[in-house]
Amino acid sequence: MTGLSVGEKLFIQGGIAQDLRTDGRKRLTYRPIYVETGVIPQANGSARVRLGGTDVIASVKAEIGRPSPMQPDKGKVAIYVSCSPTAAPMFEGRGDEELSAELSIALQRCLLGGKSGAGAGIDLSSLVVVEGKVCWDLYIDGLVVSSDGNLLDALGAAVKAALSNTGIPRVQVAADTTGEDQPEVDISDEEFLQFDTSNLPVIVTLTKVGRHYIVDATSEEESQMSSAVSISINRRGHTCGLSKRGGAGLDPSVILDMISVAKHVSEQLMNKLDSEISAAEAIEDDS
Amino acid sequence: MEYVSPEGLRIDGRRPMEMRKLHAEMGVVAKADGSAVFVMGNTKVIAAVYGPREVQNRSQQMSDQALVRCEYSMANFSTGDRMRKGKGDRRSTEISLVVRQTMEACILTHLMPRSQIDIYVQVLQADGGTRCACINAATLALADAAIPMRDLVTSCSAGYLNSTPLLDLNYVEDSAGGPDVTVGILPKMDKVTLLQMDSKLPIDTFDNVMQLAIEGCKAVATYIREVLLENTKQLEYHRGV
Amino acid sequence: MLHNKSFVRKTKSGKITKNVREHYLRDDIYCGVPACKSCDSSAARLSACPSTILILDTNVVLNQIDLIENPAIDDVVVLSIVLQEVRNKNMAVYNRVRALCSNSARKFFVFSNEHHKDTFVQDMAGESKNDRNDRAIRVAAQWYQNHLGGVAKVLLITNDRENKRKAMEMGISAETIETYVKTLGQQDLLDLLVRPPSEDVVMEEVEDLRPSKRKVIYAEHKPMSEITSGLHRGIYHQGKLRVNRYNPFEAYVGSESIGDEIIIYDRTNMNRAFDGDIVAVELLPQEQWQEENSLSLADEEHEEEDVHLVPGSADDAPRTANPGQGSGANADLPSSRPSGRVVGIIKRNWHSYCGSLEPMPMPAGDGGVAHALFVSKDRRIPKIRIQTRQLGNLVSKRIVVTVDSWDRMSRYPSGHYVRTIGEIGDRDTESEVVLIENDIDARPFSSQVLACLPPLPWSVSSEDLANPIRQDLRHIRAFSVDPPGCKDIDDALHCTALPNGNFEVGVHIADVTNFVHPGTPLDDEASQRGTSVYLVERRIDMLPKPLTEDICSLRADVERLAFSVIWEMTPEAEIISTRYTKSIIKSCAALSYIEAQARMDDSRLVDPLTTDLRNMNALAKIMRQRRIERGALTLASAEVKFQIDTETHDPLDIGMYQIREANQMVEEFMLAANVSVAEKILKHFPVCSLLRRHPTPTKEMLEPLLRTAAAVGVNLDVSTSRALADSLDRAVGDDPYFNKLIRILATRCMTQAVYFCSGDLSPPEYHHYGLAAPLYTHFTSPIRRYADVIVHRLLAASLGIYKLPTVFQDAAQLTSIADNLNYRHRNAQMASRSSVELHTLVYFRKRPTDTEARIVKIRSNGFIVFVPKYGIEGPVYLTERSEKGEGEWFMDEQQQQIRKMDGSVTYGVLQKVQIHLEVVEPQPNRPKLQLTLI
Repeated sequence: MTGLSVGEKLFIQGGIAQDLRTDGRKRLTYRPIYVETGVIPQANGSARVRLGGTDVIASVKAEIGRPSPMQPDKGKVAIYVSCSPTAAPMFEGRGDEELSAELSIALQRCLLGGKSGAGAGIDLSSLVVVEGKVCWDLYIDGLVVSSDGNLLDALGAAVKAALSNTGIPRVQVAADTTGEDQPEVDISDEEFLQFDTSNLPVIVTLTKVGRHYIVDATSEEESQMSSAVSISINRRGHTCGLSKRGGAGLDPSVILDMISVAKHVSEQLMNKLDSEISAAEAIEDDS
Repeated sequence: MEYVSPEGLRIDGRRPMEMRKLHAEMGVVAKADGSAVFVMGNTKVIAAVYGPREVQNRSQQMSDQALVRCEYSMANFSTGDRMRKGKGDRRSTEISLVVRQTMEACILTHLMPRSQIDIYVQVLQADGGTRCACINAATLALADAAIPMRDLVTSCSAGYLNSTPLLDLNYVEDSAGGPDVTVGILPKMDKVTLLQMDSKLPIDTFDNVMQLAIEGCKAVATYIREVLLENTKQLEYHRGV
Repeated sequence: MLHNKSFVRKTKSGKITKNVREHYLRDDIYCGVPACKSCDSSAARLSACPSTILILDTNVVLNQIDLIENPAIDDVVVLSIVLQEVRNKNMAVYNRVRALCSNSARKFFVFSNEHHKDTFVQDMAGESKNDRNDRAIRVAAQWYQNHLGGVAKVLLITNDRENKRKAMEMGISAETIETYVKTLGQQDLLDLLVRPPSEDVVMEEVEDLRPSKRKVIYAEHKPMSEITSGLHRGIYHQGKLRVNRYNPFEAYVGSESIGDEIIIYDRTNMNRAFDGDIVAVELLPQEQWQEENSLSLADEEHEEEDVHLVPGSADDAPRTANPGQGSGANADLPSSRPSGRVVGIIKRNWHSYCGSLEPMPMPAGDGGVAHALFVSKDRRIPKIRIQTRQLGNLVSKRIVVTVDSWDRMSRYPSGHYVRTIGEIGDRDTESEVVLIENDIDARPFSSQVLACLPPLPWSVSSEDLANPIRQDLRHIRAFSVDPPGCKDIDDALHCTALPNGNFEVGVHIADVTNFVHPGTPLDDEASQRGTSVYLVERRIDMLPKPLTEDICSLRADVERLAFSVIWEMTPEAEIISTRYTKSIIKSCAALSYIEAQARMDDSRLVDPLTTDLRNMNALAKIMRQRRIERGALTLASAEVKFQIDTETHDPLDIGMYQIREANQMVEEFMLAANVSVAEKILKHFPVCSLLRRHPTPTKEMLEPLLRTAAAVGVNLDVSTSRALADSLDRAVGDDPYFNKLIRILATRCMTQAVYFCSGDLSPPEYHHYGLAAPLYTHFTSPIRRYADVIVHRLLAASLGIYKLPTVFQDAAQLTSIADNLNYRHRNAQMASRSSVELHTLVYFRKRPTDTEARIVKIRSNGFIVFVPKYGIEGPVYLTERSEKGEGEWFMDEQQQQIRKMDGSVTYGVLQKVQIHLEVVEPQPNRPKLQLTLI
């Protein structure tokens, strides 16, 4: 992306100051959000989320694994994001690594809670098959296909949609699980385990441009930001995770203010997303 | 293994000479100069084109023609087994090279000296015939980016299993270990620009299989022209012409 | 054409992956009824106006295939889902259904319901695979009913009660196979029905008369999941169960996991496994690894050993129970060989068996259903219980029976009658039994195969002469030497003295591949048959008669196409050069071995042909000598020859086959040609050549030979083939037959040579032990052996004449071809032996004979004798069969002797005895040959 001219910069900043952004939105308005589920049939669950010119895909793959010795009663979840060079030439080769890592960590922090798994948006103990021996490992892969700002919110939404789309085959463990070895597991082809994703938070990123902050910034707007705060909030209004990016410092009171604004915005986003997901699922079931 | 039943149906219900369902869409990546998604059955590929633009690495600049680059990547979730491998493994490098050379041959590079054209192909789902889908997607993306070309390039594969030539192998058929002939053609000029085969095949059978693949390429070309035509109509409509 | 609907199918593998396959639904799949107006009827297979169309459920196809093969069942629609299920469950049945579907005489039509837009059914949540497929069958049946309207009645045949009920609810006519067969009104069809387990209760009641049999006899088979995890954890071992041909109460499981054979003693431990089943075995605790001490164990369980032909190799011979433990000094120590018991059966090898019913009193109220025990000809197969309505008719017949199930409450498996072959003891019947037993296809060639033959009468054409790849050798004085009356002449020879004093020697082999092209039905058929089979009274050809006896056969005075190997040899039989070429030859004489021998021996004859013969013979002798010096074994066989009455085909006389110098001469050049060709093809195609190897016998295999030899004071050195050959040469006793006897014993210790694909083994393993040749193949008999056809193609490709057919690029297929050839080859030999045994019996039925015999093995209650004159071997009992030898006789294993307790009589191994041969019938219709001591 080539740089912006001074005029363009002023136009963006001025628009934000006057609560009329370049694309006609208000500061706290999201772009229209589109959700498609089941876009990757091989995966156990998948979704594509489009937010203006931003287009991301998330997929969930479940594999049989072993719980970690520290938490024998919990399954494992890992999130990896990668940015396709189709989204921007700068992602070519290893060019995406930095951003991909940043997005992966931020998503992990916002959705999966702490190291102990406490506060995770999904119930990790539902992933255990035999305590201490067999569990499901969920691999969540995000792919940025097209990028026009606010990748994290889009990815968060896509992961949520993908998880609610996920069905994990029910497993039976062979009768005699004597002793030390990994027990044999049999997979049922007919029944699936669905996740309860109602506790899964959404991510709202507030981008500070000048004295104001906006939601769902486009990449032009992001280029003018001084700092950004991403807050994940669940349905009950609890803040589940938070990360601040960008160089400029923020006054703590501003942060608290931002959180309360984010909480407000998240309700609308959550409702919008839920209705989009259920609409998408209905379409998928139909076809 | 029976890949073609005595009733003449393949495992997925196609007849030997039939292609999978094709689908293509243009302009799927907002920020790119040109982009397209190309679907052959369960194989789905996105191509994005950036350029012609300033050459990023000055040392590569050519005074008489444009620099064409290509990168192929596979999404982690694109195959049945989840894999996490970096870009730039041998297979990706090879396909990048194949796509680049094939596309370079049909781009009128001499019209755009000192500039650079990047083609990025991203595999979203792989079910056999990825390199064909990549080439077809790249053709559409280049057209979408309004890059001058001699002709379209279209590609299709054909194989030979159970003593029957089969068009457009899917993953199961491709993994059967039989020969897999990938052909790319310039449909209007009726020239073959890409020809690859793995495994062995007697020469007279090879001829049949290659002819079949060429027929497949022609069918792809017909479809791509339809898509282009439809896209142009949409553009006209949006501009109110 | 293409209905673009894709759907998701999920399958499971070891690692859990979700697989997605496209599934296209079509509108161009037709119903197969010629009278149908809406469908394209070009591929229709059903009757023009069928009254009833049958749709079979999977369970019916799987269980009642014998019945379905009966022509009374016709106008059948086979759904692709049914085929798919059958294929997953039982490949053999699948192949049989497929054969029915492609048989133009039958009206079976395959309907691809899974890809038809109106009959495809989507998986429903919570529905099992089985339920889904049953539903698919019903939907297809309903579609047919609606589609055909009143044209024909559609009848769903299912034995699944639930499926039948649901079908009736949908308005589909459905019946069980039993009811349907009853409506056909053919009594004998009912015998073909496999009884559902529910009816088994009735059968058990019959056995109730013997309360001891009602208890659980066998241990339960473990469930598959447990077997898998057991195999995984190494407590079970997987392998193919092979029952000892000579003692059906002993079986072996070759296990890769412990790298040794596991022995399984008695039927309880075999736990209902059949020969050839893939089983899971659990090792018994080491202290139970029993020593099998009685060599006559087989006698204990009312099974008995019959007189049989002398084994030609270790593959034919009874297995020695425990090699390496012969001394008896440490008999009380547990055996070193692991024994085990079967815990589960992974894959059944059930097929149909030939045999007869055990004689039994006619049940009261004849004509009703009777239960009988079937005894297979193959001794490895246990008795099989069957139900029949035609007992009176069947007792004296040879019949074919199939196994259906084996309940753990029942001592014997249950099965059903398939068909009658003929009267027991009738020569034609018994010959057919021999063919069926050995899986030999003796059917006439199909019209597709015959269509591949060149038009008759055939002669060498001008194109053949003009063909640059073919050398015109008609001027050469070629001739053939074969057994008298031979019609399929594979090979001809020539030998010309060159001006430089050397000889040009040529071996010309019928150019079969000029007529048998790869991929044709003719080639497929020949590849399946693998070899011609020679029975005493008939020959079953691998290739159709016009090829075998005329077009390919290198007969005298006609021009024939050949593939030639031509050497230049010095008078010392050193090969100076070798060349290979396709050729045209004109044989000047088709000699028999006797004629050739007579010519050579008659010093008055000096004609060119006789001179050639003598030159060749001189060369052959040198080559033979050189081969023996290299360590080739001159082994002896006890082959016998029958003289057959041309009218009645009854044997008139029988005697040892005589080997003449002429035989050896021809053999020598054939060996040389095979070796030369093997070298040539391997050089060009190192990984896809078909070669023949003869494995070096292990010490264990030679153990019985050494023991016998030691008992008579002969010391054999078996360290190398050369050493063995030498010590065999030195083993000369005071009687002239002694040496031959030792050689016969040596031969039977060795396994047979086998075909293999060169890519499967490493070069040191290519070795042919018997011929002491590093490389060997079969090139010289393409008319009667398919291996030679393959080698011809390889040789032609190595000369650049033809391209190599594609099958050679497929290593797995090549290996399976080699395996099939070994299997066919072995079966052909077994069939020949059985045929000779059969004729021996017929011969002695009218001619009780006294003759001389040799003791070859000592047993606790008698000994086994070998009758050289008739090439047979059998037991001679010194005591009544019911009692053991201990009372009166004492067996000395060290000395290989059996002594009377009072020391008055001693019999030792290799001793000469006089015996009486007679055919007795201990049970009606069960004649057997009995040997008694005079």
